[in-house]
Amino acid sequence: MATAGRWLAQTIAVVLLVMVGTTTLLRFAPGYFSDAREMDARYAAVTRAELSAEAARSHSLTQMLGTEIGGWIHGNSGVSRQFGVPVWELIQPRLAVSGALLLRGIALAWTLALFASILSSAGRRPSLLWQVPAAILLAVPAAALATLCLLINSGGPVLVLALLLAARDFKFLHRALHKAWLDPHVLHARAQGVRTRHLLRAHIVPALLPQLGALASLSIVTALSALVPIEVIFNVPGIGELAWNAALNRDLPVLLAVTMILALAVVCSGVGSHRTAAWREA
Amino acid sequence: MSLRRGALWLLPGLILAAAAVLARPGASYAYQDRETVLAGSSLQHPAGTDDLGRDRLVRVSGALLISLTGSLVAAAITTAAAAGVGTLAAFGPAVVGWSAMLVCDVFLALPWMFLLMMVRAAMPLTTSPAHSASITFLVLAALGWPACARAVYRGAVAQRTSGWMLHARSTGLRRAQVIHHILPNLLPLLIPQFLVSIPAFVIAEANLGALGLGISEPLPSWGGMLFELNNSAMLLETRWVYFPLALLIVVLLALEGAAAEA
Amino acid sequence: MRPSGIVLIASAGLLLLAARSIAAQEGPRLPGELVWTIGYDPKTFDPAKVDDQESETVRYLTAGVLLRFNRLTQQVEPDLAQSWTVSPDGRTVRFTLRPGLEFSDGSSLTARDVVWSLRRVLLPATQAPVGEEFLEPDKVSVEAFDDRTIVVHLPERVIGIGKVFDEIAIEPAGRPSDGRVTSGPFYVSGYRRSQNISLRRNAHYFDKDVAGHALPYASGIRLDIEENTEQEIRLFRRGDYDLIDNLPPDYFELLKRTEPASVRDLGPSLNTEQMWFNQSPASPLPDWEKAWFRNRAFRVAVSQAIHRDDLARIAYEGHATPAYSFISPANTVWYDRSLTAPHTDVAEARAALQAAGFRRQGSVLLGPDAHPVRFSILTDTDNAARLKMATLIQQDLAALGMQVTVVTLDFPALIDRLMHTQDYEACLLGLENVDPDPNAMMNLWLSSSPNHQWNPSEKTPATPWEAEIDRLMKLQASTGLDAVRRQAVDRVQQIVADEQPFIYLVYPNLLVAYSPRLEGVRPAVLEPHLTWNADRLKLRGQDER
Repeated sequence: MATAGRWLAQTIAVVLLVMVGTTTLLRFAPGYFSDAREMDARYAAVTRAELSAEAARSHSLTQMLGTEIGGWIHGNSGVSRQFGVPVWELIQPRLAVSGALLLRGIALAWTLALFASILSSAGRRPSLLWQVPAAILLAVPAAALATLCLLINSGGPVLVLALLLAARDFKFLHRALHKAWLDPHVLHARAQGVRTRHLLRAHIVPALLPQLGALASLSIVTALSALVPIEVIFNVPGIGELAWNAALNRDLPVLLAVTMILALAVVCSGVGSHRTAAWREA
Repeated sequence: MSLRRGALWLLPGLILAAAAVLARPGASYAYQDRETVLAGSSLQHPAGTDDLGRDRLVRVSGALLISLTGSLVAAAITTAAAAGVGTLAAFGPAVVGWSAMLVCDVFLALPWMFLLMMVRAAMPLTTSPAHSASITFLVLAALGWPACARAVYRGAVAQRTSGWMLHARSTGLRRAQVIHHILPNLLPLLIPQFLVSIPAFVIAEANLGALGLGISEPLPSWGGMLFELNNSAMLLETRWVYFPLALLIVVLLALEGAAAEA
Repeated sequence: MRPSGIVLIASAGLLLLAARSIAAQEGPRLPGELVWTIGYDPKTFDPAKVDDQESETVRYLTAGVLLRFNRLTQQVEPDLAQSWTVSPDGRTVRFTLRPGLEFSDGSSLTARDVVWSLRRVLLPATQAPVGEEFLEPDKVSVEAFDDRTIVVHLPERVIGIGKVFDEIAIEPAGRPSDGRVTSGPFYVSGYRRSQNISLRRNAHYFDKDVAGHALPYASGIRLDIEENTEQEIRLFRRGDYDLIDNLPPDYFELLKRTEPASVRDLGPSLNTEQMWFNQSPASPLPDWEKAWFRNRAFRVAVSQAIHRDDLARIAYEGHATPAYSFISPANTVWYDRSLTAPHTDVAEARAALQAAGFRRQGSVLLGPDAHPVRFSILTDTDNAARLKMATLIQQDLAALGMQVTVVTLDFPALIDRLMHTQDYEACLLGLENVDPDPNAMMNLWLSSSPNHQWNPSEKTPATPWEAEIDRLMKLQASTGLDAVRRQAVDRVQQIVADEQPFIYLVYPNLLVAYSPRLEGVRPAVLEPHLTWNADRLKLRGQDER
């Protein structure tokens, strides 16, 4: 019960700090009070009127924060600055899209990384065969990988996300497993001729479990940051694409909502691994 | 085993070779030979030229030196910061641990892109490309640690409740005495983190080019060259666009080999 | 190792599953439907409130208008109006509607609807950008004489008044519908945010082709919202998209290699790419830099040092034309062939700098104030050609001893510096011209305008030549005599060429691609280049309805 209370307090603190931080960053970053259409003779006058209205609205930071946080407390997510529609209307259909992409990507990545690292660490020569593909996937930017997929007309956002994550997870898992195989008791068992399959089940996988929690939170954070280029290039109507457009258009209400979702995801990923640790302590 | 030793020598070898290419008389990473744009391999330009007619070999060599130094330093800083914050949070007082993880969570969710824009706005526009590059890598290092710090924290918490630690504590060793045994046990987390950060920073530097930071023209940027792979028109133009990628893969494998030795 | 076999099969299965899950985003094409892309979600479907490019695209395809500015012939033609007249003083415009007009829902369109639509645009509460084009919208009166006659009274002459009506959609009186009920060739039938907009054929559209077939030919149009050129090209090659407007030069070359039959280089566009120095006294730049940038000899020397042929050949892969003026050769009416402008001549540039008090110290140029000449060129992030041009110029100016840094910024941050803080030295950007008439560039040239980039919102003209430009631009805007206008605009072009407040670099060529199956395409230099006659486009082999 106490843990739940503490978790709640932490979540609320994180969300509040993120709201304050995002509003401050966005408000004081260059370009909050400008718009590309100011350069266009046809739309300059209207755009300037919009911008001066925005300037009046966000004259003081405390007032801005008050409006935003007050709005959220009353369940009002505000109105998008670029589209003029309620933020929740924009986010809701996209949540499912990005959520599905993330879940499938992460699941596939973990499967790939686990099998690859078990195979590579169990083999006598943990060799180039596994390290080369991992190095390639680490070296190619996410956007370039997505573009290559388009070029050869196969593979999609899930695959790209999974491959990117798998390469990173593999690096960690491979090393952890390698260490596990070299543990004295495992070496002893191997010398006595205990079968690999049995060793895996009895010693290696259990030794890996505490590492997995730590890895999971890393993996989710990486996935979230890879989401933007992947969604933008594959034109997936998800949160990442929305966030990117919101950032480019300085759309504070939308960006606030997205960062809050992100903050929740981050906090939750941390909790997941913490619980694993707690469970092992019990 | 010989393969690994080879890997150990590969990296210094590559750096020496790159320095030699740059030191060759007449080699310039900036000079635009405008009559030979996107040329293939020739005696004069062994790796061809880029889309502005600059020698690709010289540029890749320069990029190797600049980006590798930058990303190695940045990766070292992040990993060290993550190790420090993570262990401190796990072994320090509960309040410290709680607040450190709070800061990490907040850090991970904030849109740092806007901070980078402010950094750019605070720098004079005539900041030299070299300064801009070093600032970029430092900023990347300063922003890169929270995800790893969280992982280190989890790992360290697990260590804290592990058998050997309980054993050591029960024999009367104080916390400060056991803490230096923690680090070797965190290496399986820290080494991959270090290795993964290097290509991530090479690429991130190029991403920041969009915000006016990063390694600006005419200095060669490795990340910028990798981003040429984004453009399918470029991919069909010349095979040499894969050269920086191939080199990065070789460097990563060499680093992996060196780390395996450690 | 036995498990490895199972593992491999399992992972292969998973990979296939993941790979299968793509590309389901584009729906199947309906019979007779045309499909192409727009870059982002339109901000509005209300034709009166259009204030961005993509809303404009939708309005063009859906709105019925009194007069249409023919993008190919560049003449104003009657559309919903059967005929129109302007009084000699240019202050009264009279329209007569075609008989039997109907909206897309079948209700009849009368002068009442026209009056309502025009008044709505003029009303300050609507905040219609097009209202501004009447100069004093609150003093304009609109009346219906009978069911088919409308008279508009203006307080003063408006140059190119016919074109203004090209932007005003006639909607059913009292029932604005965000494009769902229109009097144009299509109407909006569906919108999925960030995915696509569906337009359906208006069966009640008045126009017919010469053979008497009802227009439009296509049963509808789907506009996919797609900002990634790679994806757009891939789907175009697969036949999912019928056309691509405004191809970047590198992708043009790519398509030319794979589908040579579908690409067209239409020659110079109306747009210009230019570089300028910040001359604003309000800028936070040090005084000596301001002095360089206000020095005509300095600007002319920079202009002479730039190899525009190289910019066109390398940055645009040959798909651009060197530029020396703000009016492109594509603008046949206003282009001035007798214009003299400083051409590339590095030796002369060096000599001129020396004469102006600049001197070389080794490879570095020092200003008359002994400060090394070092400045930055700002440009935007999204345009690869601009970054290439800036890098080429960096080397060109190094030949004069100028040290240039190139900085790319995202658009809002860039605009913030250009329009608000004035904290920049030089900038390289393009200007898109949608209207061939130089009158449309009024707010660029008037020294009092906030869009007077090199020195915005001057209270009084800072220099005699800016005062002269002001006078000439106002003259051409107030006279009805074509010869006088022509003379004034030619003179403005010459002043700009002499003073180089904008250093014009290139006119990018207009690069397009369209499927060989698409019939009726007549590419125009004016926007929308390929789809201005969308009502007459159809795919070969498709049923007309």
